Amino acid sequence: MSVEFQQMVEFHRTGQHIGTELPSPATPGTCSALLAPYRRLARLRHDFPLVLVTQGSPEPLISLSDVIDAVLQEIAPPGISGKRYREHILRLETTIREQVADGAEGSLSKLWAQAEKALLSGDGNGGRELLRDSLQAARARLDIDGPVVGCDEQLPARLFEHLWAMAESSRTRAALERIDLLTHKLGEILKVDDLKAAGARTPQNLKNSLGERYQDAFDFELMSRLLNQATPQRMLPAGRRRRIQSALSVLETQKFFAARSTGAKRLRNKTQFRFVFSSVANALKAYRERLEDMAELVKAMMIAELEIDNRYVESAHDPFFQRFDAGMLGTKDLSLFPAYLICLHEQDCAGRAQADLMEILSSDLPMNIVIQVGDTLGEAAPFERNVPNGLRGHQLAGIVTGLGSAYVLQSVSAGLYQLRAEIAAGLTYTGPSLFSIFSGSPEMTPGLPPYLVAASAMESRAFPAFSFDPSAGQDLAMRFHVQHNPQIEQAWSHHELAYEDHELQRNIVDIAMTPADFAVTDLRYAEHFADVAPDSWNDDMVPVSDYLELDEHAAADKVPYVLVVDGDDILHRLVVDDTLIRVARRCGEQWRTLQEQGGINNSHAAALLARERASWEQEKAQELQQLSIDLEQTGVAAGPEPEQEPAGQAGVAQTAGTEEAEEQSPAGPSPDEAYIETPRCTTCDECTDRNNRMFAYDENKQAYIADLSAGTFRELVEAAESCQVCIIHPGKPLNPDEPGLDELVKRAELFH
Amino acid sequence: MALRAVDFLPRSAEEALALEDYEGCAPRWCTGCGDLGILTAVQRLLRDEQLPLEKVVFVSGIGCSSRFPHYMGTYGFHGLHGRALPVAEGIKMRRPDLHVFVNTGDGDCCSIGAAHWLHAARYNMDMTVMMHDNNIYGLTKKQASPTSPQGTRSNTTPRGSDLAAFDPLIATLGMSNLSFVAQAADWIPELLYKIISLAFHHHGFSFIRILQRCPEFLPDHFEPWVQDPDRMLILTHEDGVQMSTALSSVYRQTADHDPMDLIQARELVGTSERIPVGILYRNPDVPCYEDLRRSRQLQTPAMVSAGLEEELDKFTIWPMV
Repeated sequence: MSVEFQQMVEFHRTGQHIGTELPSPATPGTCSALLAPYRRLARLRHDFPLVLVTQGSPEPLISLSDVIDAVLQEIAPPGISGKRYREHILRLETTIREQVADGAEGSLSKLWAQAEKALLSGDGNGGRELLRDSLQAARARLDIDGPVVGCDEQLPARLFEHLWAMAESSRTRAALERIDLLTHKLGEILKVDDLKAAGARTPQNLKNSLGERYQDAFDFELMSRLLNQATPQRMLPAGRRRRIQSALSVLETQKFFAARSTGAKRLRNKTQFRFVFSSVANALKAYRERLEDMAELVKAMMIAELEIDNRYVESAHDPFFQRFDAGMLGTKDLSLFPAYLICLHEQDCAGRAQADLMEILSSDLPMNIVIQVGDTLGEAAPFERNVPNGLRGHQLAGIVTGLGSAYVLQSVSAGLYQLRAEIAAGLTYTGPSLFSIFSGSPEMTPGLPPYLVAASAMESRAFPAFSFDPSAGQDLAMRFHVQHNPQIEQAWSHHELAYEDHELQRNIVDIAMTPADFAVTDLRYAEHFADVAPDSWNDDMVPVSDYLELDEHAAADKVPYVLVVDGDDILHRLVVDDTLIRVARRCGEQWRTLQEQGGINNSHAAALLARERASWEQEKAQELQQLSIDLEQTGVAAGPEPEQEPAGQAGVAQTAGTEEAEEQSPAGPSPDEAYIETPRCTTCDECTDRNNRMFAYDENKQAYIADLSAGTFRELVEAAESCQVCIIHPGKPLNPDEPGLDELVKRAELFH
Repeated sequence: MALRAVDFLPRSAEEALALEDYEGCAPRWCTGCGDLGILTAVQRLLRDEQLPLEKVVFVSGIGCSSRFPHYMGTYGFHGLHGRALPVAEGIKMRRPDLHVFVNTGDGDCCSIGAAHWLHAARYNMDMTVMMHDNNIYGLTKKQASPTSPQGTRSNTTPRGSDLAAFDPLIATLGMSNLSFVAQAADWIPELLYKIISLAFHHHGFSFIRILQRCPEFLPDHFEPWVQDPDRMLILTHEDGVQMSTALSSVYRQTADHDPMDLIQARELVGTSERIPVGILYRNPDVPCYEDLRRSRQLQTPAMVSAGLEEELDKFTIWPMV
C-alpha cells in the first residue's frame, strides 16, 4: 500500500488528517461534478422564478416560463415567421430571471418593464425597432400580474402564505355570503315587526313614508287612527325578538371573516382574527381562545336559519342551544372557519413546540404547518448547534405519516411548482397538514444557486419527496406517492458526466448522485472530505455508490470518493470519511422504505410473486411429468418438425404478407372517418400548404388532421389527391349541404 | 493531471431540445419534394439523440440536396460541387468530437465527386453520408444525371439518354475497406428514420443511398414503387431494421438479410427485381482513418495559438528598424 493510499484510508476511517495533510475542499463554488453545467442557472430555462398570481388568472401560481410560453403562443406564429418574436421574448425571460437571481423584487409588470428597458438600452440601433415591436406585442398580451419570487430562502413562507390566502378566499367568500344572507333575513324579520308597532303608524311616520308631492291630499292624523284601530297587534314574542337580536349581533360582530363592503357594520381589520402564525404555541393559544367565539357564531347561524324558516320551537331547541358550547363543534362546523397557517423553521421545532406540533398533527385541528428545513444530514455537521437533540425537522414528515390522520407533503423548494396540485390538496384538507420543505442554507453553500442546492437534495435521496393524503382512499397505494422523485425505481439516480481529459479527448462516466455528492456543496460538511492529487488516483478508490454496495470485507481495501469540480471547472476526487458514509447509508435505507411504501420494488409483493411463481412452476412440472407418462403409456410420439421454408431469391428467405399477419393487424379506422396514416407522412407540405388549420404537423413533423371543421370536404379530397404517398383518407363529408358533394364523394372513394 | 469538465450533462426535461430547435431556415425545396422527408427524418434523429447543436455539422456540395445545411440549426458547410466529402474528412480529422453528416446528390456524388466518394469509402472516417438520388439534376432545371435511367428525356438528352444508368450501390459494394452501405426511400419515412439512425450509430463511413422523388422534373419516375408497395423488398434482420406492425401490413415483401453478408448484399442489389430497402452491409470492425492517423501529440490551446501566430507571422510586414 502506497503512502498516499495509506493517508486516504486513515482519513476515511478516522475523519482526521494524519501524517501529511490531505487538503480540505472548503472552497466556495466547489460542487458535485454533476452540478457543474448548471451553476449559471439564470441562463437556463427552468421552473423559477414563479409568479404569485393576484390578478388575471384563476391559477394562483404560474412559472415565468409558462407565462412566456403563453404569450408566445399568442404572438409568435409557428415556423420561421415567429422566430424573431421567440428570440426576443426568450431574451426578455432570461433578463427577468437574471434580475430575480440578483435579488430584484416586485410584481411581474414591474420586472417586465425593467427588463424591457435593459434590453432596449443594450441593443444596437439596427435591431432596436424590431425588438421594441416584439416587446410591445408581448406586453399587450400579458394579462396576469403578481409578485415574482425566486427559489430563495424566503420562498416557502411566501409561497405557502399566498396559496393559503388563495385557498381561504373561496372559503371566506362562501362563509360571508351565508352570513350576509342570514343577517339580511334576520334584519327583515325585525324590520317587519318594527313596522307593525304603534310607533310606526304615527301621523309623522305615515307622512314621511308617502313623500312630499301628495302630502296635502291626505289627513295623516285620521289615517294613523284608522290604521291603529283596523290592523291586528300581532307582534313578535319578546323572547323570539331577543333571540333574533342576539343572533344578529353575533353575526354582525364576528371576527373570523373580513368584511367585503365598507358599509357593513362588521368589525374591520384591526380587530379581525389573524390566522397566519410563526409559532406553534401562539397558534394553539389563539385557537383555544377563539373556540367560544366559534361556538357562538355556529350557534347564531343555526338559530338564524331556524328563525328565518320559522322552525324554532322553544321547547325543543332552547335546551339544546343553552348547552351548546365549543365541545359540541363537529368537523362540519370547523370546516366553516379558516384554517391556520403556521410557518416554522427547523429550529422552531424544539422542546415544547415539538410536543405542541405532535398534538396538532395527531388531532383533527384545521392547521397547516410548514416547516422549512435548512440541513438534512444533521448528524454529520460539526457546527450545528441550534437543532434540537430530539426529533429533527426533516424527520418529522416520516413520523407524522405514521399517525395516519394528517396530510403530509415533503419536498424541496425547487420542486414546489411541480407539486402545486399536492400543496393545494393539503391546504384544503379537512384536518391538520404538514409540509416539510428543504430550502438549504445559502450562507453554507456560497456560489451555488439555492435552486440547485435544493434540487440536488432531492436528486441525491438526502431529502426525497413524498405525499400522504389520508382522504385519497382506503389503502396506501392511493394515499402514498413518491413519483416526483427522479428515477424512482433506482437506489440512486444516475447521470452521465462528460469531461475533457488532459489530451483534450471526451470521456464519459456514469455517476450516481448520493448524499455525499450533495453534502460536498455545503461548507458544514467540508471536514468530511479530503482532496486527492490526480497522480495519487488508483483503482482502489471507488465511487460512493459502489462503495455502499460492498460488504464489510470487500470495503476494507477500498476508499470511497466523490467527483467534484472547483470554481475553475477542474475535476477533483475527494475521499469521503466514514461518518458521512454512514449518513449516506442511512439516507439510502430511508429511501428504500419510501420506495416500499410507494409500491416500488415492494418486498412483500416480490415475496408473494416468488411464492406464486414457484407454485405455478411446480404445477406445470407436474403436468409435464403426467403428460410424458401418458405419452409413454399410449405410445404416441411427438409430431415431426415443421418443414423449413425454401430459400428465396439469391439465397435470401423472402416472405410475403400472410393471412396470419392480416389477422394480427389491428382493425383500421372506419371508411366514414377522415384520417391520415401519419407514420407514413413524408412531410412534403402538400396538405399543410393547402390548409394549415385543417392539416398540421405533429412533434415528429408528420401530418395529421388537426381540425376537420377548419376546411371543406373539397379541400380534404383535393389534399388526398395531391398527397404524394396517398395516405390521406377523406372519409365522409361533415357538411351535407356542401356544394358538389356527389362528385366529391365519388372522388373520395378512391382513397377508402 | 488536471481534468476540465467541458460538456453538458444530460439535459433535464425543461431543457430538452425539440425538433424545432434543429430547424434552420425555411426549406425552399418544391412542395412535394422527397428532400423534405429526409430533412424531417434527420431532425427527428437529432432530437431523439438530443445532440447539442454545437456538436453537429452538415457538409454538402452543390445541388438541390446540398441546400440541406441551410435548413439545419447546427453548424454547416455548403461547399463546392462534388467536394463535400473531402471537406467533411478534414472536419472529422481535426474535430473528431463533432458528429459529421454529409448530404450529396446523385450528380454531386456519382459524377464530379466520384473520385472523392471512392476514397472516402476507403478511408472509412466516422460520418453519415446521405446520397439523395432523384435520378436528375433538379437545381439546374432538369439535366440527365449519372443515375438517370436509359431513355430519360431531359434538357441535355432531348431524345432520351443513351447510357444505362449508373448503379451507386453496385459501385459502393465493390469499394475497398467498406464498412456500411444501406438503401432507403423517402416515401417510407419509418424505415428512412431507422436506417439513418443505424448509420449514425455505426462507427465509420456510413453510406446511405436514399431514393428521392422529384415531383417537379421527374414526377412519375418512382410512382410504380410508391403506389405498389409489393415492388419494394424490405431487408429485415435482428441486426438491421425491423418494421412496425402497421408498416409490415403495407410492405409485405421482406427478406431476412444479415448485414455482415457482403456477397449476398451484392446479389441483392444486382439481381433483385424489387428495390431493396434496408441495411445491405455493415462491418463494425473496419478501422477508421482518423483513429489510425490522428496525432498523438498534445494539442493544447497554447500550442494551437503559437502555431497560428507562426503562420500569420509569415504575412506580417515588419517595420523597418
